[in-house]
Amino acid sequence: MTLSGREAYKEELTALAAGDPRIVCLEADLGGAGHPFARRFPERFLNLGIAEAAAVDIATGLASAGLRPFLSTFAAFGTWRAAESVKLGLGYQGAPVVLVCPYGGASGGWFGPTHHGLEDLAVVQSLPGVRIAVPCGEAETRAVIRSAAAQDRPCYVRLARNEPYEAPFPPAGPGEVGWVHRGDGPACLVSIGEKPAGLCSAATRERPDLSHAHLCWVDAESLAQAAGELAASARRIVVVEEHRGAGGVASTLALLLPGHEVLSVNAGTSWLSEGGDHDETLAALGLTAEAVLTAASLTPTLTQGAT
Amino acid sequence: MNPIDLARERALRARRSVVDMAASGVGCHLGGSLSVLDILVAAYTVAQDRPGVEVVLSKGHAAAALYAVLHQVGVIAEDPAPLYGKAGAPYTGHPSPKVPGVRFPTGSLGHGLAYAAGWALSRRLLGAPGGAIAVVGDGELQEGLVWETLQIVQAKRIGGLTVVVDVNGGQNDGPVADISPLTRLPERLAAFGLEVIEIDGHDIEKLMDVLVPRERPTAVLAATVKGKGVPAVEGKAASHYVKISPARARQWKAVAR
Repeated sequence: MTLSGREAYKEELTALAAGDPRIVCLEADLGGAGHPFARRFPERFLNLGIAEAAAVDIATGLASAGLRPFLSTFAAFGTWRAAESVKLGLGYQGAPVVLVCPYGGASGGWFGPTHHGLEDLAVVQSLPGVRIAVPCGEAETRAVIRSAAAQDRPCYVRLARNEPYEAPFPPAGPGEVGWVHRGDGPACLVSIGEKPAGLCSAATRERPDLSHAHLCWVDAESLAQAAGELAASARRIVVVEEHRGAGGVASTLALLLPGHEVLSVNAGTSWLSEGGDHDETLAALGLTAEAVLTAASLTPTLTQGAT
Repeated sequence: MNPIDLARERALRARRSVVDMAASGVGCHLGGSLSVLDILVAAYTVAQDRPGVEVVLSKGHAAAALYAVLHQVGVIAEDPAPLYGKAGAPYTGHPSPKVPGVRFPTGSLGHGLAYAAGWALSRRLLGAPGGAIAVVGDGELQEGLVWETLQIVQAKRIGGLTVVVDVNGGQNDGPVADISPLTRLPERLAAFGLEVIEIDGHDIEKLMDVLVPRERPTAVLAATVKGKGVPAVEGKAASHYVKISPARARQWKAVAR
């Protein structure tokens, strides 16, 4: 059975910790219950409670002493509640803390905007030196956790909620472009995360001439490595991401490719205070396969749901 | 010279150096640097004899005192005073890890205490000796992060942590008591499971005894005087940030005590 990204993270970290005594698992009351790490390595597992800013700082202190803390809380809290701690610890100090945040994007659905993480990448992307991964499915999540543990770099890992995802493509490493579909048309769709990958696949079924590339590592350093390959594939690049337009992957990629046409299909600008599951929430935010097709086809000024 | 006299001598020299930094052209947080200076001398004297003990100046705006003390205890080889605030030198108004002996950048208040708690916790996880001495300001205790951290210290039984509060009674805009008083502070700290010790924050000998990190986390409420040791500013709230001329610095250093 395929595991959700959240469960895959827990399993993979627990497996890694068997061979790496530096790994410490920290939780902030949003994933600690029944954690396999706690059962296997109780002395290296600490649920620090609802105190995200202090948790990031304490993780920074642990990292400074040579330990490798993995800290998990929801994206909205890990990036915003603890924003300054992330800036000073992972950014300024470059502390090798891995911040693993489920509830990225609108995966919180009916929990509402307090629990949506539609601005998380903007926070972390603004901090030079922090690596960012948005893995899709179990295998890629496991690969990201292994990579993060081996890098000795600060990392932000954005996950979704509890829904398992069967990724129809192999994991992409830092700087790698994962090609999901190669078309011969003028536009390349670039999906960031699980739901956008699904939207892009739906779009390429409709328009097989469109290409679809998947990126997992989306920090500026990784994007700089991937940008050339993307630019060579098509005249127009349409980034599809579960994020606001401001500070998203498209905005970073556009700065890296000033001579290229980089469009963004994103979660728009509304604060959606209504129920609905993940898909319904995205649809209400304008993040749909139709919006992707529109952006791929029309001039930028006429695109629906695109900025 | 016995260790106590040596520490006092270092404190006097460091005071003069801080006055020089006030005459650097950019000025410095003079009042709070002079109030915390004896605490820092004691803390580094304690740490130098004990492997794994980290001193974290959480009230990073007292950077001038930190640089002066680190120079006096031999961690910073060069004299930082002429370089304070200068381009190309690491002696910024709030300390960074570019400065020898500084592990964590501080100045945004509250974070240094949490870093220190993380360091203290690392001793337990690594099975290594040591602990942490976090030096915080009394105004700094208005930050929620301080109490969030103490909550975790208590909940996770983080030992080997001494929290020294430089109780100088002042903050940027005036007296702490006028802006946001720290009502029943000893009781509040005790409620978080800390052993609370109240002492004279300029008694280096006693400080050297109580600052040693112990198994049970300790809060040392060190009563201090802003501007301590420089008569022109001693006890004056206006000493928070001071910029003076080199000529005045010479006068003040001559009577520093």
